[in-house]
Amino acid sequence: MMLLRLISWPYARKHLLRWLLTMAGIVLGVGVFVGMHTANQSVLAAFRETIDKVAGTTQLQITAGEPGFGEEVLEKVQSLPEVRAAAPVIEATVSTGQGNLLILGVDMLGDRSLRTYDLEGTDEAIDDPLIFLAQADSLIVTRTFAEKNGLQVNSRVPMRTMQGDLIFTVRGIMKPGGLASAFGGDLAIMDIYAAQKFFGRGRRFDRVDLALLDGVTLADGSAKLRALLGSGYEVSPPSSRGEQFEQTSRIYSLASNITSIFALFIGMFIIYNTFAIAVTQRRSEIGILRALGATRSQIRTLFLTESAIAGSIGSGLGVLFGIVMAHAMASYIGNILTEVYGVAQRADGIQVDPVLIGGAWAMGIVTSLFAAVIPARAAAYVDPVKALQKGRNQALSEGESLLRRWAAVGCAAAAVIAVIFSHSTAIFYAGFVLGGVAAVLLAPSLTLWLSRFLRPLLAFLRPVEGTLAADSLIQSPRRTSGTVAALMLSLALVISLGGLARSSYDSLADWMRIALNPDLFVTTAQSVTSRTFVFPASLGDGLRAIPGVDEVQLVRSVRVPVKGGPVMLVALDIGSVERRAKLPAVEGDAATMYRRTERGEAVLASENFVRLHGGKLGEVLEIAAPSGVLKLPIAGIVRDFSDQQGSLLISRQAYIRFWNDDSVNVFRVYVKQGAQDSDVRQRILDTFGKQQRLFVLTNKDVRDYVTRLTDQWFGLTYVQIAVAVLVAILGIVNALTVSITDRRRELGVLQAVGGLRQQIRHTVWMEAAAIGFIGLVLGLLLGAVELYYAIEISRRDLVGIDIGYAYPFRTALALAPVILIAAFLAAVGPSESAVRGSLVEALEYE
Amino acid sequence: MIHLQGVTKQFAGKRQVTALERLDLHLARGEMVSIVGPSGSGKSTLLNLIGGLDRPTEGEIKIDGQALSTLSDDGLTRVRRDKIGFIFQFFNLLPTLSCLENVSLPLHLRGWPRKKIDERARELLDLVQLSGRLEHLPDELSGGERQRVAIARALSVFPPVLLADEPTGNLDTHTGAEILKLIHDLHDRLGATILIVTHDMVVAESCPRTIGIRDGRIVTDVRRGDARREMSRA
Repeated sequence: MMLLRLISWPYARKHLLRWLLTMAGIVLGVGVFVGMHTANQSVLAAFRETIDKVAGTTQLQITAGEPGFGEEVLEKVQSLPEVRAAAPVIEATVSTGQGNLLILGVDMLGDRSLRTYDLEGTDEAIDDPLIFLAQADSLIVTRTFAEKNGLQVNSRVPMRTMQGDLIFTVRGIMKPGGLASAFGGDLAIMDIYAAQKFFGRGRRFDRVDLALLDGVTLADGSAKLRALLGSGYEVSPPSSRGEQFEQTSRIYSLASNITSIFALFIGMFIIYNTFAIAVTQRRSEIGILRALGATRSQIRTLFLTESAIAGSIGSGLGVLFGIVMAHAMASYIGNILTEVYGVAQRADGIQVDPVLIGGAWAMGIVTSLFAAVIPARAAAYVDPVKALQKGRNQALSEGESLLRRWAAVGCAAAAVIAVIFSHSTAIFYAGFVLGGVAAVLLAPSLTLWLSRFLRPLLAFLRPVEGTLAADSLIQSPRRTSGTVAALMLSLALVISLGGLARSSYDSLADWMRIALNPDLFVTTAQSVTSRTFVFPASLGDGLRAIPGVDEVQLVRSVRVPVKGGPVMLVALDIGSVERRAKLPAVEGDAATMYRRTERGEAVLASENFVRLHGGKLGEVLEIAAPSGVLKLPIAGIVRDFSDQQGSLLISRQAYIRFWNDDSVNVFRVYVKQGAQDSDVRQRILDTFGKQQRLFVLTNKDVRDYVTRLTDQWFGLTYVQIAVAVLVAILGIVNALTVSITDRRRELGVLQAVGGLRQQIRHTVWMEAAAIGFIGLVLGLLLGAVELYYAIEISRRDLVGIDIGYAYPFRTALALAPVILIAAFLAAVGPSESAVRGSLVEALEYE
Repeated sequence: MIHLQGVTKQFAGKRQVTALERLDLHLARGEMVSIVGPSGSGKSTLLNLIGGLDRPTEGEIKIDGQALSTLSDDGLTRVRRDKIGFIFQFFNLLPTLSCLENVSLPLHLRGWPRKKIDERARELLDLVQLSGRLEHLPDELSGGERQRVAIARALSVFPPVLLADEPTGNLDTHTGAEILKLIHDLHDRLGATILIVTHDMVVAESCPRTIGIRDGRIVTDVRRGDARREMSRA
């Protein structure tokens, strides 16, 4: 403790800027980790809170995937003696001018035994549920929603429904709290039979909520219900919907984990760098301490304690930064998850998890300690005799370099072998890690070689400034290589993510060209992925009768449980798809697979379904449907990007038969040759637009939507890129700040013998540019390798789709000026400090 | 050549320290002067002010008729570049540059053509008898050789003023005597005004004029005949 106060504190105070920069790496790493996870958890918590509040006293919910089930199921459930109360529910999210509104369609006669509707005042319509029932246009809204929209009892609310534009009447306002606070208070209650009509559900419910008699356990109740209903139904407590949401958004969570861990990893390099330099700079101090009797262990502990303190402060600031970031990100992430996964939630505030905060804080400290282990060991082994000799440096030993190089070669060789045996996931990931380790171990040697290579070039450009800049890099491999390694890793991340994005866009463009070729899409919402409203099948005939329409494909997309997870089942006219939009076959006989699927004998599985859920060609899938378990083999594997979790294509007839549901999400309309898309679109709107909720999107609208969705997804990639570049810049600033301190006397001499300020600035700028250039070269090279791994990881564990390897040359070209400019900007402060300090002190500096 | 009038230098801090106080001094062209005094007397401060490395708090310094107080930092640098050569106690050679490159440094900074720089650097290293060590790095040289390189670098543009701060302070007696002889030889051959700050009375007394400083003021100013100088060179 005394050593800390006497030795460490004065040093830290003297080099405050450098310590702040060092801590910035940890702040950023911990901040991104806390920010992303807190935002994720907040979205999940918001979803769970909505489920919880909507559930009321519901103990079990009966569902059958998104298509729901017929009304007869309710009677069956109610007939079970163990069931105290059962009520049907339709849950739908509609877009209003004020954002999303969650509409709960309930049976007011039976629902009050499960949910409490705490209404303001005493209104006749609500006191007698029969009156509420009798008036199909009735809505109960929450106080929050009413205030936001200036509503009161008897106010009129317009809504676009499957019955056309209708006016609803507010018949009651719920007091805040309880059910009324679900979905951020943006909630409305509607009679279930009205909801069936207005959302196009026919005579179906989304689910049945129920409570068991006292004394009946959940396990018993569930078992009895399962036995009663058969395998096509899921019986689970409301909380299990949160798990499904987590499972669905697994890819997103993984991506955010990678970003934060990467930021922390780069932060670790910055800390290593700072401590390695501190040991070099403080060698005489260490020598004195050793001469005065300090043990090696005391010296090591001193440096590790400094590191723990820096890590602790950095982590603390990182936690605060992360919480601020989470506030900004929660609604953005919520929107992405709603768009991509179709799970509505409202994350207005954030939920701070003490375990996460504690874990992140500890992680920051451990990272900091880990980064300081090698420098602390080096400090402990400083030779006091050499340390006390003025002007004598104890350089990185050749033995250490050689050992490191051999270790790098070993890791690289092991990584190459791992690629050969990469069918094993463990070996593949081991190879990925070893490749990274090899690059990091090789970074000092490569930096040295590249610096030597650059010396003549820099000397040619500016004989004095250039030579000194290159020599500064050559002479201080420790100072430079840590920064270069951080920069290299950052840029490799940028290249791999940029390349992945580029390749994904290319593959998506190919798929859109083939699969999204209808001229028009008739949908129930502006977004093609929305499945809140559904059309009756009969609309298809009406569309076919529109002049100019050549062919109409009826598409029903629903998420159903397959292989233990929710999978997108796309029911459509397979024969028509084969003619019009034949998806490329990845596996299977292209000539027969469509025909077998069309006949209802098989399904077509998307490439990513097979990868992510472990299926194979010919495997018989068991798909639970309300009328029994559908057992169909996979007749072919096709490239389909309909859903991130994978999709199954099934014949529409088979779907109708097993799910007893002939509704439609989207009509894909092909226009006759010679007819104008815009004319046909207008005719559809004129004919059906007023009768019901209906949108007609052009091919371009849909493609733009898919691209926008992908942009939103890769928006996270850009956050990752920004973090990577920011950390890299911090690294350069750190290295240059240290370099200026290290070279203080040298720069002083340069000025003493006639170097102008501009010439001093040039040498610092050139050093920064050289660091940037070396980091850029190594980063672009490592990026080529990382891109291979990114594509493989994406194929194996994320989206399951094979995308071609395409090095993002444009990104690489764009990075060159970005990094060089960033290096220059990073050099401005240090170069000014180099020219503005006292020349006399610089010449006396040791 | 060097003219100081009423020069005061104070260092601000918790307690203000006056290093030089109303100091007047005149050094003629070609004069060789030593400055002696105890530690903290202000002799190095005086050298720094004359060399344009620092600015006085009050007073005026003129080098070759040019007042330094009116110059910007870059203006001061140009004076150093064109008119002043420095020799330091710890040599201050750049460890990464060879002897040739170290001597070339000021010439590059002046923007001379490469060929001319190379010729001049070789000529200077020959002058200090190091023509056989052109490509050696400072670490590969003895203390005396390093100081020779530093002297060659200080002479690179044949400046009219040469300032030496304890030029033999980091050398053994024998090597120190050799360096001193070299400085005297160069003075004879080049005729520059040389100002040497030293603790070493042998060095001080080898110069025709010795100025003693104590507590920031000139306390003695002794001029000697050539005989004394000859004696020290012997």
